[in-house]
Amino acid sequence: MNWISSLFPKNRRMVHLVTIVILSFVIIVGHSIINPYLNQIVIGVFYYPFAKVKNSFIELKGVASKNKTLRKELVHASVLISKYEEASRENKRLRSVLGFEPPLGYSLLPSEIISIGGEYIPVSAVINKGSDDSVFVEQPVINQQGLIGKVAVVSKDFATVQLLTDPSNRVAARLAVSREMGIIKYTFAKGMILDNFPNNGHINVGDTILSSGLGGVYPSGLFIGTVEEINHPEYEPFCKVKVKPAANFHALDELFVLKKEK
Amino acid sequence: MIKLIPYILYLLLVAMYQVFLKDITSIYGVTINLPILLVLGVAFYKSEVVACWFGFFVGLVVSAEVPQLVGWNMLIFAIIAFMAFHVVIRLNIESLYARLLFILSGVLLYNIIILLLYRSDSIIYSFFTKSLISAIYTTIIAWLFFLFKDRRITLQKIKSIF
Repeated sequence: MNWISSLFPKNRRMVHLVTIVILSFVIIVGHSIINPYLNQIVIGVFYYPFAKVKNSFIELKGVASKNKTLRKELVHASVLISKYEEASRENKRLRSVLGFEPPLGYSLLPSEIISIGGEYIPVSAVINKGSDDSVFVEQPVINQQGLIGKVAVVSKDFATVQLLTDPSNRVAARLAVSREMGIIKYTFAKGMILDNFPNNGHINVGDTILSSGLGGVYPSGLFIGTVEEINHPEYEPFCKVKVKPAANFHALDELFVLKKEK
Repeated sequence: MIKLIPYILYLLLVAMYQVFLKDITSIYGVTINLPILLVLGVAFYKSEVVACWFGFFVGLVVSAEVPQLVGWNMLIFAIIAFMAFHVVIRLNIESLYARLLFILSGVLLYNIIILLLYRSDSIIYSFFTKSLISAIYTTIIAWLFFLFKDRRITLQKIKSIF
């Protein structure tokens, strides 16, 4: 604008002011023609870069909040999935429970495990049934897999089950096929073994071992386990039989107390 | 040309303010009138011609959102800059309160003109709820600016409080 003011050196200040006023009026009068061009330039030069930054920021903010929501939903979904998986496992287990029958003259009292005792291996389990549910000492306890143990201590609402894995527990047993007998016991060193089985008895790996019913605690025919390993030492009256327990004592869930029917 | 750089930066600041700082700094819909504050600032510290041209271009930038008022806005900003400059040279505006009164009057004048230009139905109501409060809010910002400029408030002083 200096060239304009140089034409009027005395009124330089006024020239500027008059120019501003004239330009403003030109824009006011010819706004329909000039405004689109002016607006295009102003928005393109001044507004657009900031608008782009603003939009990116808003988008980023939206993504962040969406991310937060999705994370929450993911946690919720994973909780639901684990619940469904647990329900599915329970369903499977209960279906298998439905398939097994108590021994003749006995009824099943279902119970849930409250706690399991034992340092290296579970040796006892507290169940949520007690004397109020007609649970007594020495009642056999089973699950859908097989024999678990017997009731050792009873209180009003709870009972403690002595598992077969307790070294002081003994079960009179026999082979399902040959009907030859022995005693099932558990040692920490060897695991479950069939003791007192004659060295010349008929026994093979994979034979089924059942409770014999002798001793008066366990009814006969309860599945205890299968023969896993046999060792026939020379000059000894009994062979050494390692037994694979039917029940998984590390994954006990529902237990059933066998009640004698009157 | 180098002399123009600060003014171009001011214009960019106005555009940035209009695009997103306005929303961030608004309190219950009351916004700071940064464009007129800058025009008054330039009129306060610079020459008449510079202030008028700066006002003219600020009016152009501000009008991008209301293109039908572009010419009017340019004229209004330029006139206010012109008037502000003459108020500054005729009155002794040295004290902080005088400067704040000067800012408050300038912003209020601009707000009233815009209010009349928009032909709002409830001018009185809008004056009290928008124009006046906006002018006060802008003056508070100007007050903080002057406190910083006069070194009455420094970052060290703020740090020493905490």
